[in-house]
Amino acid sequence: MYILQANDIHKHFGRLRVLKGVSLQVRKGEIIAIIGQSGSGKSTFLRCLNRLETVDRGTIEVDGDILVRTGPDGRAIYSSEKSVAQIRGKIGMVFQNFNLFPHKSVMENLTLAPILVQKTDPDQAYETARILLEKVGLSHKANNYPFELSGGQQQRVAIARAMAMNPAILCFDEPTSALDPVLTGEVLKVMKDLAMEHMTMIVVTHEIGFAREVAHRVLFMEDGMVVEEGSAEEVLLNPRHQSTQAFLSTVLTAR
Amino acid sequence: MDYLLNLLPSLFEGTLLTLQLFSLTLVMSLPLGIVLGIARMSKFRPLNVFMQFYIWVFRGTPLLLQVLFTYFGLATIGIKFDQMTAALIAFVLNYAAYLAEIFRAGIQSIDRGQFEAADVLGLSRFQTMRTIILPQMFKRVLPPVSNEVINLVKDTALIYAIGMNELLRAAKIASVRDFLFVPFIVAAVFYLVMTAGIQLFFKWLEARYDYYR
Repeated sequence: MYILQANDIHKHFGRLRVLKGVSLQVRKGEIIAIIGQSGSGKSTFLRCLNRLETVDRGTIEVDGDILVRTGPDGRAIYSSEKSVAQIRGKIGMVFQNFNLFPHKSVMENLTLAPILVQKTDPDQAYETARILLEKVGLSHKANNYPFELSGGQQQRVAIARAMAMNPAILCFDEPTSALDPVLTGEVLKVMKDLAMEHMTMIVVTHEIGFAREVAHRVLFMEDGMVVEEGSAEEVLLNPRHQSTQAFLSTVLTAR
Repeated sequence: MDYLLNLLPSLFEGTLLTLQLFSLTLVMSLPLGIVLGIARMSKFRPLNVFMQFYIWVFRGTPLLLQVLFTYFGLATIGIKFDQMTAALIAFVLNYAAYLAEIFRAGIQSIDRGQFEAADVLGLSRFQTMRTIILPQMFKRVLPPVSNEVINLVKDTALIYAIGMNELLRAAKIASVRDFLFVPFIVAAVFYLVMTAGIQLFFKWLEARYDYYR
């Protein structure tokens, strides 16, 4: 019933404990927004979900497959490389800095992994890519290179690239933080379109408006822990915890 | 004029030998340099330490000494190579050491996000290197690599020490025989023509890679 379950995730960098027991359950089609200040551990948590960061302790289960679990000695045990790769295929990732491949055209960015990793028939991959580019409004840029696109266009390509792998869950790591308000708007629009199609999404964001409008559930993180969790209305409009209130008032008055 | 015409055959012969060593060294040291550069970054400690040692030895001693060692030094313990093989071994190992460091720097200059993007798309480490990292690395290392390649043309002169008649030695023989400096001037022109060709080639390569930023 849950497509993703993360339980009691712990993680430290050197002496700094970044995650102190974070848990998250996501149902199919659910949209989760994770908010919080820089350094609260929200990006790190997201990156743990597909092993961009390894956890010290905790369990992560994606679509019934175990990525990592805690062994009897209290340390994390990861599944075999093969099943890790398989699980990663189910989680798409969109980065703050887009991370498109600069030496590949937009079309190549979208088709490279499906052809190379999923062994999709190239014609099929190109067809899928064309449909996805149409969806993000960039059909006319198929043969351009990333440096020829605006930041917003690059991020839309990055979203299409992640979608080309047909993931079960799409993760966004502050997808609009490198963009100005206009470009932010066009990226958020694409994300809203995905939400309409019931794509399961986990979004680390500073866009409170977007979270309020789209997210089914909002998590507020502070100091490596989930301080408050609930519906967008509960957390964003009637925050109970003091630090959530403080955070929201800073973010909202900054606008 | 007549003198020049008489001089040219022997200098051409020397040039041929020079070009032979040059191209063979290049063809072998470039791929070896890539492999060694990647090995130098290995998280497997023994391999990493070995690579540091290797690079230290081959960058830390004169190439001339390495050539003498592979030809004369190894012969004293019964390992004998013909001149060309000995020269090649020394040159390839030496140039691979320098190139390894250039390639390592090139790979490490690629944004971490490129590795992560390839990672989350499920590319294997080999696929990531081959399709994402190395192609971008080549563009960045063209200037330092062209430096090395031009150095290589000139370094070929060192094999005179094991009695090979490369371009400079051919010029020297003619100079001593005829009591003239002209052969050296001609040799200089030959070197300049070769390095000009290399410069043009790398200019063309850089232009070819200019389709993205």
